[in-house]
Amino acid sequence: MSNNKSLGLAHLNRRAMLSGTAAALAAPYIVASARAEAPPVNVGVILPLSGPNAQFGINSRNGIELIADEINTAGGIAELGGAKINLVMADATSTPTTAGTVAQRLITQQDMTAVLGAFASSLTIAISEVTERRDIPLLTMSFADQITGRGFKNIFQVVAKASVIGKAQFEYTAAIAQAAGAKIEKIAIMYEDTAYGTAQANGLRAGAKAANVEVVMDDAYPLGITDTTPLINKLRGSGAQAVFPVSYLNDSLLIIRTMRQQKLTIPAIGGAAGYVIPDFEKGLGEFAENVLSIDTSNYDLAPELTERFRKRFGYFMVHEALEHAVCLEVLVQAIKKAKSAKAEAVTAALRGAKFTGGWINGMTGGAVAFDQTGLNVLSVPLMVQWRGKDIVTVWPKDIAKSAPVWRS
Amino acid sequence: MSFLQAILDGLLIGGVYAVISIGLTLVYGVMGIVNFAQAEFLTIGMFVAWFAWAFLGLDPVLAAPLSFAVAFAIGWVVQGQLIARVLSAPSVAQIFLTVGVLIVIENGSLLLFGSQFRSVTTSYQTMSLSLGALFVSVPYLIAFSMSLACGIALWWFMRASWFGRAMRATAQNPSAARLMGIDTELMYKIAFALGVGLTAFGGAVILPYVTVFPGVGGQFVVLMFTVVVLGGLGSVAGAVVGGLAVGVIQALSSLFFPIQLQNLVLFIVFILVLAVRPQGLIGASR
Repeated sequence: MSNNKSLGLAHLNRRAMLSGTAAALAAPYIVASARAEAPPVNVGVILPLSGPNAQFGINSRNGIELIADEINTAGGIAELGGAKINLVMADATSTPTTAGTVAQRLITQQDMTAVLGAFASSLTIAISEVTERRDIPLLTMSFADQITGRGFKNIFQVVAKASVIGKAQFEYTAAIAQAAGAKIEKIAIMYEDTAYGTAQANGLRAGAKAANVEVVMDDAYPLGITDTTPLINKLRGSGAQAVFPVSYLNDSLLIIRTMRQQKLTIPAIGGAAGYVIPDFEKGLGEFAENVLSIDTSNYDLAPELTERFRKRFGYFMVHEALEHAVCLEVLVQAIKKAKSAKAEAVTAALRGAKFTGGWINGMTGGAVAFDQTGLNVLSVPLMVQWRGKDIVTVWPKDIAKSAPVWRS
Repeated sequence: MSFLQAILDGLLIGGVYAVISIGLTLVYGVMGIVNFAQAEFLTIGMFVAWFAWAFLGLDPVLAAPLSFAVAFAIGWVVQGQLIARVLSAPSVAQIFLTVGVLIVIENGSLLLFGSQFRSVTTSYQTMSLSLGALFVSVPYLIAFSMSLACGIALWWFMRASWFGRAMRATAQNPSAARLMGIDTELMYKIAFALGVGLTAFGGAVILPYVTVFPGVGGQFVVLMFTVVVLGGLGSVAGAVVGGLAVGVIQALSSLFFPIQLQNLVLFIVFILVLAVRPQGLIGASR
């Protein structure tokens, strides 16, 4: 045993010596290149690039790459001598345990200034356990309340919390119905049972309770469901006047299709995610028309920015792409403010600060300001509605681009 | 009424479970190999049907024979080049090989097709027939009918054709079959290719209501094994009974319990059945 150990050490020493020599030989070149170019800022990007949430991971990655490329071609971060942003991508898959492991590996292998990700709340929560231990800032657009509700020091959530989003999902709907002369008395809630769906359903319940509206159906279902018929059978029997499904993509398609099969035409008000990406319309065609969904930002509020995305990727800038771009924008501004790419310095610059300009103009509230928990207190949810191949902001009234259509 | 509706939905879904699982039981019945990669052929079938829909404008249900053919060809090669080598090897080697095939197919499709979801749009996707107060989902009904037709064709093939008889002879006693002039190597190839082809066929017919992505097989793999073990591993009739039973159990359980507990109820029934009848509902009579 001890013999083995000493052998290992000898091996290590030899290797260390060799690499030391190599470094010494290469030193003049390293110095030379450092003069020409500042060391890049490593930003970890952990997203679900495979599994049931892959589509959202790809959308988010596109948003981040767009703005990273823009900054790099414009000469990098001037405050750090023109340092380029080096995105280090990792696939979180769609399983929280894997996401945690991937985060661990990413951080161990390279010095990270910050980590961005991971769209799905359950993945973000798993990753945040790792980044918190290592004191690396994690910027996210995931919704769950838990994200900023655990007293973590290194987490920053640029959008409103799921409970707030869920409450708005109900309250905006009630307001839109009222404006159209309809009154909602019974609603149904169905949600996928991960951190995101559960938290948002809490908000929906709270909103309904406050408005004295009866929740006649309240069902969770597993992520990756392949048959929603039992849910829709139940919905049909419940007598609900509106349904609030909180789902990712596959389940959102199944729910709307099965509702149409059973000739259920009550309004469905989606909970963002699966309801606000181009694939929703691609999968449903005409049945997507006028479907409402809550959202945390929308591309039509800042077309001058988001058209750059459409031009490069060929589809509208979905909210996860926009908000991930905002995460990177905020991060870069914090780096500039701190004049350092050190994780601790960047965290200090982020905490309690207010950021404006650039991609942040795409957010509701027009700025990003983190409170002591790391939550952006300025973000307000909004309601969007499908019109052809686009989604249009229809509520709240002061920012709406078009009047909502309500058909009960 | 909701009880009848649940039974109806369960039977329609269960028919499809049956056809995707028949392949698994067929391969085990004839060759004695448990093919862990079976569900990946479902993915292959779905991808073939999706591409046929996207580029040829073919309805996934009409593309099902194409899915069958592609999977049949792949299965033929996999059997001839890989599985044949481990037929008499320890079962650990067989497990590793088929799990290896699973990983290669899943990651290969991830490389080739990317991880995004692909769904088809068909005219009947949002249609249903009214049967009194009951709704019969048209995509489920089409998938069920196609599965039924496929099952009957297989039954005829196994019962009446020379190949089917030869295959059953091979399953019963390979040495005796060889003495009677049956090319057992060929029979194994046909059995394996037919088995994975059927699963791919099932993949194509469910495409109108299930979106395809490289990991979709994983959503069905546990169900497939449950179906065949519940019915009796190695028995084709068992897979049919097992498939229908699983569909109905899932549908009925969601009447009384939250839908999340669907599979919990299924597995409690599964464990109880195996405790009483370890050989499955239909005995392992090959």
